[in-house]
Amino acid sequence: MPHFCSDEHVRRHLPRRTFLADMGMGFTGMALGAMLNREALANTAAWSPPNGLPHFAPKAKSVIWLFMNGGVSHMESFDPKPMITKFGGKSIKETPYADVQNPDKLAKERAPVPDANGNQRNVLFPLQIGYKKHGQSGIEVSDWFPHTARNIDKISIVRSMWTTDSNHGAQTQFHTGRHMLDPASPTLGAWAHYGLGSLNDDLPQFISIGTREYWNKKDGIYLGPAHDAVPLRIDPTNPLDFGTPERPFGKKAQAEGFSLVERLNALSGIEYPNDPATAARIASYELAFRMQQSVPNVIDFSQESEETKNLYGLNLPHCKEFGQQLLAARRFVERGVRFIQIQHGGGGAGAWDAHSGLKSNHTKLSLAVDQPIGALLEDLDRRGLLDETIVIFATEFGRTPGSQDSDGRDHHPFAFSVWMAGGGIKGGYVHGATDELGFHAVENRHYVTDIHATILKQLGLDSRQLEIPGRKRLAIDHGTPIDDIIA
Amino acid sequence: MRHRFKQRCSTILGCLVRFSWPCVALLQLFAIGSVAVADSPSQTEAHRSVYQEKLKPLLASRCFSCHGGLKQEAGLRLDTVELMFEGGESGAVISKENPGTSLILSRVSDPDPASRMPPEGEGEPLTPEQLSLLKAWIVAGVPAPADERPEADPRDHWAFQPRTRPAVPAVTAAAWVKNPIDAFLANGYERNGLTPQPEAPRSVLIRRLYLDLIGLPPTAAQLALLESDQSSDWYTQLVDQLLADPQHGVRWARHWMDIWRFSDWWGLGEEVRNSQKHMWHWRDWIIESLNADTPYDEMVRQMLAADEIYPDDPTKLRATGYLVRNYFSFNRTPWMDETVEHVGKGLLGLTMNCSKCHDHKFDPIQQEDFYKMRAFFEPYHVRLDIVPGQADLAQDGLPRVYDGVPEMPTYLFVRGEDTKPDTSRSIQPGVPEVIAFKEIVIQPVSLPKTAFQPQRQPWVIEAHATSAAGTVKAAEQSLTQAIEKRTAAERAVAAEESKAAAGTGVAIAGPSTALANGLSAAGEFRDDFSAFDSARWKTFGGSWKHEPGRMLQGQDGATQSALRLASAPPRNFDVTAQFTILGGSQWRSVGLAFDVSQPDPSQSAGADDSQLMIYASAVDNGQKVQASYTTGARWEYPVEGKVSHPIAIGRSYSLRVAARDTLVNVWLDGRELMAWRSPIKRRDGAMQFTTFDCIAAFHGVLVAPLADSVKLREPTVVPTPDPTATPAGVPLEAARNALAVARLDVALSERSVGVAQAKLQSVQLRGDAMRAAWAAEDVPNSPAPPLNDKPARAALQAEREVAIARAHHRVAEVELSLAKATEDKKPAIQKQLTTVREEAEKAVKAEAPPGDSFVELIGAQWSPTRFRESRSDDKTIPFQPTSTGRRRALAQWITDPRNPLTARVAVNHIWMRHMGKPMVSTVFDFGRKGNAPVNPELLDWLASELVDHQWNMKQLHRLIVTSAAYRMSSSTLGAESNAKLDPDNRLLWRREPIRLEAQVIRDCSLSIAGTLELAIGGPSIPPSKQADSKRRSIYFFHSNNDRNLFLSLFDEADVKECYQRDQSIVPQQALALSNAQLIHDSASRLSQRLSAAGGTGAIASLDADFISEAFLAVLGRRPSPAETATCLESIGVWQGQTDPNEPASTDSAKAHLVWALFNHNDFVTLR
Repeated sequence: MPHFCSDEHVRRHLPRRTFLADMGMGFTGMALGAMLNREALANTAAWSPPNGLPHFAPKAKSVIWLFMNGGVSHMESFDPKPMITKFGGKSIKETPYADVQNPDKLAKERAPVPDANGNQRNVLFPLQIGYKKHGQSGIEVSDWFPHTARNIDKISIVRSMWTTDSNHGAQTQFHTGRHMLDPASPTLGAWAHYGLGSLNDDLPQFISIGTREYWNKKDGIYLGPAHDAVPLRIDPTNPLDFGTPERPFGKKAQAEGFSLVERLNALSGIEYPNDPATAARIASYELAFRMQQSVPNVIDFSQESEETKNLYGLNLPHCKEFGQQLLAARRFVERGVRFIQIQHGGGGAGAWDAHSGLKSNHTKLSLAVDQPIGALLEDLDRRGLLDETIVIFATEFGRTPGSQDSDGRDHHPFAFSVWMAGGGIKGGYVHGATDELGFHAVENRHYVTDIHATILKQLGLDSRQLEIPGRKRLAIDHGTPIDDIIA
Repeated sequence: MRHRFKQRCSTILGCLVRFSWPCVALLQLFAIGSVAVADSPSQTEAHRSVYQEKLKPLLASRCFSCHGGLKQEAGLRLDTVELMFEGGESGAVISKENPGTSLILSRVSDPDPASRMPPEGEGEPLTPEQLSLLKAWIVAGVPAPADERPEADPRDHWAFQPRTRPAVPAVTAAAWVKNPIDAFLANGYERNGLTPQPEAPRSVLIRRLYLDLIGLPPTAAQLALLESDQSSDWYTQLVDQLLADPQHGVRWARHWMDIWRFSDWWGLGEEVRNSQKHMWHWRDWIIESLNADTPYDEMVRQMLAADEIYPDDPTKLRATGYLVRNYFSFNRTPWMDETVEHVGKGLLGLTMNCSKCHDHKFDPIQQEDFYKMRAFFEPYHVRLDIVPGQADLAQDGLPRVYDGVPEMPTYLFVRGEDTKPDTSRSIQPGVPEVIAFKEIVIQPVSLPKTAFQPQRQPWVIEAHATSAAGTVKAAEQSLTQAIEKRTAAERAVAAEESKAAAGTGVAIAGPSTALANGLSAAGEFRDDFSAFDSARWKTFGGSWKHEPGRMLQGQDGATQSALRLASAPPRNFDVTAQFTILGGSQWRSVGLAFDVSQPDPSQSAGADDSQLMIYASAVDNGQKVQASYTTGARWEYPVEGKVSHPIAIGRSYSLRVAARDTLVNVWLDGRELMAWRSPIKRRDGAMQFTTFDCIAAFHGVLVAPLADSVKLREPTVVPTPDPTATPAGVPLEAARNALAVARLDVALSERSVGVAQAKLQSVQLRGDAMRAAWAAEDVPNSPAPPLNDKPARAALQAEREVAIARAHHRVAEVELSLAKATEDKKPAIQKQLTTVREEAEKAVKAEAPPGDSFVELIGAQWSPTRFRESRSDDKTIPFQPTSTGRRRALAQWITDPRNPLTARVAVNHIWMRHMGKPMVSTVFDFGRKGNAPVNPELLDWLASELVDHQWNMKQLHRLIVTSAAYRMSSSTLGAESNAKLDPDNRLLWRREPIRLEAQVIRDCSLSIAGTLELAIGGPSIPPSKQADSKRRSIYFFHSNNDRNLFLSLFDEADVKECYQRDQSIVPQQALALSNAQLIHDSASRLSQRLSAAGGTGAIASLDADFISEAFLAVLGRRPSPAETATCLESIGVWQGQTDPNEPASTDSAKAHLVWALFNHNDFVTLR
């Protein structure tokens, strides 16, 4: 186990080690969990917490989760719909596809909680961007995403997603599988962290980068705060909340301080023996100390070549920020971090929320994310990491085929697209389809938890085995893996 | 390690209400897998144990809720084998003759979902493995234990039984027993062979009482005094003192705020979507009520129905914040759902929410009961009442509830879907039959006029007048400031005019204007070239010539020349140069170069040479300000470093360049033009003012280090130059423009005063008219007063005066914007000006239409909902003269001493917060799915104590904290036998340690530092001001959107639901405690205080005495010799450190030591 400072400190730690051995405690992430209500669990003899091993052979080790806040237009990204352009300006009723608004059809959609946001918009708004076929697979991708498109043969697109929240609570829903008005549930990242624990004891195992203003800031929920993502900033001088002393405190002096805290805590074991809280506290200080040293090193890019940095667009103002985040993600993955959740487009309900001015909105935002995403896929690939890393590109819902305020699109929960690459996912593949207007997902429909199930499966986890007593989840919460996109 | 385990029906049962398919009822489903039936001891025995261990739990989880004790659908029960044989309406479900075809088997394996059990939508079908297991057991002859008992009648569940006062048990350990609580516990020890742990040391007890009762630690002086107190009643004295302390209310209010879900408002941006503004009034009511010892039942009644019980008492109306908090602007259903759910969980320990979509699966609560409960709340809405002294509801106001829609029906939602209301009948308010000990009688409440005409409250008109007078004052202050600015602008013009007359000279604006030429102490370098000091400058190339007040570069042609600072410039700098371009052949560039590596810039550059430059160019067809750089011989002109801008010949400019590392910001004449990041690294080099192909004069320069306070902008968005910004170096033309603007500003400010005065006048006259109308109206049997009586006419006229003043104000506004506008915008604004001038004329001439009446001043405002449209408010819901009385009736039922749940739930919450663990571990679920109380007699005895002492909570606190149980040590030392018998301390043989709550941790660190402010009450402290605030953490703004980072890391209450705080231990807490400024500040303050010269007990040296005092202050106890020795070891290390970056000093070592104690596990633990 790494230690605070010198051999001398190790020597002085000896009494503590004895003390910990007496505790009979291992120091996985479990040791740091919530410390409450033991008797409730004592009633459930058959249950024991996960041991950090996958339930079956995994195909992937890590996940880079790219989430576009606000709702990307599926028709203008990964599910081009020429008929919208052809019938642009016409009411849906006047097209051959009037049936999409057939009340019977709409009634079959999982009824969104009524919200005045997210109305259907009836006058078709032509596609605001062209699209082309790419790669050997010849999959069509919009011209807003040329760098992603260059890598299309590494990607499976799911064009038949649906959700039930017509407002931005769908962000929460995409991460937890539950509507924002339902009781809070753990996010996928928290489940992965809970099930698999740590590959690197010096780094947080579950990282969140970027803003997530609209949806719950917590992940662990009833799994406990030990499974919350650790928020990070790509700022080597201040990457971590409270990551560096907020008043001058020399490195050596601080190390001695940590050592003293540890020894004093160990001494309290004389008066209060066998106290699991003390042991957990000591372990938490050890990890904290290592984290504050390791994290800045990971996001210091000075060892990266100029070629790599330019590949991610670090030399370009418009995509530098996202590029840095993705480069950091690759560096975390290399060091064994399990789950890196990156949110793009903070502020309000999410930057991609193009109720008006969709063209300028998506032009600007795709420019910010596309080159770094292409770079990430290529960089992971050439380092041999893509095989064991799932990259997912997701958003909370699609946008209406019809126009809002003349040049925008409203929220659209009935259909949207998500893509995945790496970690045993097929490349150059399209799964599912929407109707001609992109209104309904009509073929191989998937609720958001099917994405969760797919990822967990690749990580070697069975979500049913992760359930904890008293927190029985439904079939819909578990979802079903999309086996069709698994290689 | 333990895991958090909060039961919530909605997740257990999976009330996935947001989907249109119905819920699936599932309990814990044990993994069945393949079971090999053993041959020995016997097949039958094996099947019996399979039934016991696998099948019965399976049936319990999948079938019993409809076919068991709770319900008997089709007359069938499956909770014993005997009952299966008995069967239901379709006969026996197990066939003795032909077991393989038993009805139960065919029903659970039916391929047709319509007839398969569990019914579609109420549970997943059994798996093939489960089916084969069931079949094998039936074929084996359904072997079951002989003593199999059916499920108990749910109505017999303990929590639904009337509460009785149990007799205090007699115990043998009488000496240990301090009060009846101990007798109940001792009874448990004796029956289980446990021995209670000895009393904790006095220092631990003192800290325990302080933190538990007031949430603050004892000071060293208080500790010393109490530790030496020889009186036998020191403990009870201290308890009484702390319970009487106003901080007691603050401490315990936070506990109740968790349970009652206190939240400040939240929404999207500035839009209130949840809760309300000014919710702190409710928080203050909680604190005050606890301090005043308001009984628990009375608090509950006020929270649910103060508007019906005390409609005229604003201090009590604050209590209804409890219901206000559920406000949700977009949808009534979640609002009502949350209300029912949390009244159920928080006050009754019932998971009513589980019956929203279907009958409750565990408790005898029908789906209709959920809607009966909703019906109590159906009529209520939220409003803000005006409070004394402030009529602006954005600033302050009292959030409260009222029955606004008394006729609104409540419908049952089929399967819980609000799109499917069963409108065939309207549900009336009511409570579940199982706990209905009396009939609920609902009587409407006639409200006083001040409740539904809140403008009649005596302070309201005065509040409007006060606010209006405040506006007048503020407008007058703005006017004064505008006049001062105008005077300054006049002076500037005069100064410029005199300078222009002199022909030379400029004023250099900068961080300091009082400096003489030269290098100041602050590292500023300034030169106005009144003289030329050759020691300070070097020139290169060109033809440089000094004239009084300027340096002239007179050589034309495409070469570069430089005026270089002889001294090294600051690395991060803020430089202003004033220059005039006088001519040049083509490029006419003047600028600032920095990081120049060449010793002589007029020579050609080497491969390693580089420099950066910001310059203005008066080139024809392309005037601009440009950032450029060179590495080696080649110059780069990055496109993102170019801003097109007119640069005139013969006009003086002020160019300001500020750089921090590679980030460079540029201003021209005070307007921000550019934010640019240099792509090349900064290096040390010379700074020089340059010309290229340009004849130019420099009038003055200012070079200053860039202050940390100057925030530079990142190059993200291209700024739109603000044409109205006052130029930094004011040439004459700009000064004249500024004066014109300043004059119009004064005119506008005068109009603002006019509007404010007219409004004040109007408020006063409208108030008079309203009073006159009430006086007439309130005379019994008098006819309605005439509409156009004199005060009313005056009020109406006053409103017209306001309209006129506003119109004039608008004209002044447009006049100002015209003066500020760029040429291209002017025509449109000119047009607008014509329009507003016409409108003003109209307003002056306008006559009030006959029959028009003045607008009354408001006393309250409905908090609008947007149930229909997201971008516009729903139709206003007016205040009613009558309230339905529904909530009053509910409150009376909940607080009736006969209610079996209320007191038990409250006592359990109070007990948990004192003792570290609850008696009923599922604190919000006392139903059949919840856990039974560990010590049911004690729970009922305490509940009886609470009720029998008029629900007095301080009495209950006193009772609990003076028990021997409370005073035990939390150590397990010497209790090996106890630890074996009861490892989880279920029977409380020792004190349970508590990880302190987030608020207590922060409050303690401030209190120990001596900086905590103890003021009580007031608006919540916004996030932006929390870092500097020294107030108790309860006052921090706290909502779902905004929570304090430090607090959130220590399991801060979730505003959506927090019946029990988590007590996690995670590395982020270690980072917060070790790195937060809060802790470092407190550590250094305490170490300074302990060693303050001249103070009593001051400790000069860092030795055992200091260590001891620091322990006492931070941890509330003295160190052991081993702890002292350990601290001395580290002190030795700190003092011996030789690292030049960490100069060792006794002061810093002292601060480090105190810092370490703040990071001690005991600091965040209540031992």
